[in-house]
Amino acid sequence: MIDPGLYMALAAVLFTIGALGLLVRRNALVMFMCIELMLNAVNLTLISAGRALNDINGQVAVFFILVVAAAEVVVGLAIIVSIFRLKSTASVDELSELRG
Amino acid sequence: MITPEIQWIAILPEIALAAGAAAVLLIEVQWKPAANRLGWVAGISFALAMAFTIVQWLTASDALAVGQIGSLLGFSGMVLMDGFAVFGRLALLAIMGLGLMSGWRFVTGLGRRGAESIALILLATAGFSIMIASNNLVMMFLGLEVGSISLYVLAGMTRDTSRSDEAAMKYFLLGSFASAIFIYGVALLYAGTGRFDVLGMRGFFSGVIVTAPAVILIGIALVIVGLGFKVSAAPFHSWAPDVYQGAPAGITGYMAAMAKVAGFLAIARILITGLPQYEQSWAPVLAGVAALSMAIGAFMALVQSDVRRLLAYSGVAHAGFIMTGLVGGTFTGMLFYVAVYALQLVGAFAIVAAVSGSASSASDIDDYRGLVRRSPVLAVSLAVLLLGMAGLPLTSGFVAKFGVFAEAWAGGFEWLVILGVLTSVVTFAFYLRVIVMMFMEESESDLAAPSTPVRWAVGLAVLGTVLFGILPEPLLRLAADAFPL
Repeated sequence: MIDPGLYMALAAVLFTIGALGLLVRRNALVMFMCIELMLNAVNLTLISAGRALNDINGQVAVFFILVVAAAEVVVGLAIIVSIFRLKSTASVDELSELRG
Repeated sequence: MITPEIQWIAILPEIALAAGAAAVLLIEVQWKPAANRLGWVAGISFALAMAFTIVQWLTASDALAVGQIGSLLGFSGMVLMDGFAVFGRLALLAIMGLGLMSGWRFVTGLGRRGAESIALILLATAGFSIMIASNNLVMMFLGLEVGSISLYVLAGMTRDTSRSDEAAMKYFLLGSFASAIFIYGVALLYAGTGRFDVLGMRGFFSGVIVTAPAVILIGIALVIVGLGFKVSAAPFHSWAPDVYQGAPAGITGYMAAMAKVAGFLAIARILITGLPQYEQSWAPVLAGVAALSMAIGAFMALVQSDVRRLLAYSGVAHAGFIMTGLVGGTFTGMLFYVAVYALQLVGAFAIVAAVSGSASSASDIDDYRGLVRRSPVLAVSLAVLLLGMAGLPLTSGFVAKFGVFAEAWAGGFEWLVILGVLTSVVTFAFYLRVIVMMFMEESESDLAAPSTPVRWAVGLAVLGTVLFGILPEPLLRLAADAFPL
């Protein structure tokens, strides 16, 4: 069996990629995918931690996070579509009306 | 087989709110009634939730009096019914009531989609309410997301204005980012301890000494960052001014106050109840975030030309003040502060909505020039609320600030208290700027009289600000009794 610690390290890398991507990329859809990547990194952490601790709770928690991620997809895409209808763009740089 | 222990009373307030939301949506689809009828449904579910919360309070104090802690653990310890959760529920329900009243014109102005916004307001309250009551961190995450996702939609409720969409987008992206950071922190805490429940973590740390606490420390830091985003503490505050400015005015006060109350109660429950053994690690971090928030919030608010951005930055400063109450490992001052600040915030935004139109997303500070000639009641009310936020003696803000500063001083963070007092002085400058504009200058335009629910909401907020400033003992005693398990 591969050491669960390696999976947790991989999850940490994935989470970092997601977080950096969210901060660097300017397309709302790509930023959105980065959030999904972060949530999946959390899932991987929970699964491998549950495996390492021999505890079912970590693996059960993953289902709840999957459901939350799905709900976020629904709302997030709706907001992106709503903006695309008004502005025909999905770039967050175009969203600059609010400043002060 | 073990029979699961179910105590429905522990989640009856949330059931009442969620059922109310479902009922509003179903009634809208089936009968298409006028919005005021739906308001009655929301009112009934509010009243039921309030009644159940009061029953919980009585049950909790009875159980504590005879020392039966076990009966406060609902659903095998998933949900707690301690005074802390009940105090938070009371505050959230009060905000919801005032928010519905002050946003009623906005809700009815949405036409057919008014029902959706009522349902979302009820759902957001249910989510944040379960968040502060949960002992299990995954449960807390679910409550946080139910509340946050409802708020993202509410921010974008006026679909045809691009500013509202922009606010929803920014709130959504940064809010989801914060949620992901929070749940990663929870996952790391689980990896380090094998526990999801706050009380279990405390038990775990009192039993073992962790020799390599890196995972746990990173987990604590991520939880603080994630919830720091939600309460708009600096340096995680960048979304707040844009969202407060772009979201429909009628609902902004509710959104802001809700996230603040729930976020701070969750921070207090996780850190103070769950991880007291790591206080040496998290207290300096909280103190640093508090200091940054106070300084950035107060100085950025000085240069704002939009009242809603000003309130947003002042909210960042207030997040710092509230966090000052947590650094000593105490919570009474924090509870009092979030309750009275939430009241002031909802009241102030109700007035902003009345001055600039409830669906609008512009509220230039020049609109407030000479407000006293157009609407003396609104001007005086806004002045009282702003002075309350600034912390003038005889208002609730003064008692609240005194409380958190006293606790931080006793906790050994003298430098933070001195910084807090200095930034309080700075906050007077921008609150007084608005007040001077309202009272000293001439106005040109006219203003429609505010609707009855707005007048009630503003009246209650002003009454609370003055009453808890002169007679703070009842609320202070309530906050002191509301300790977490």
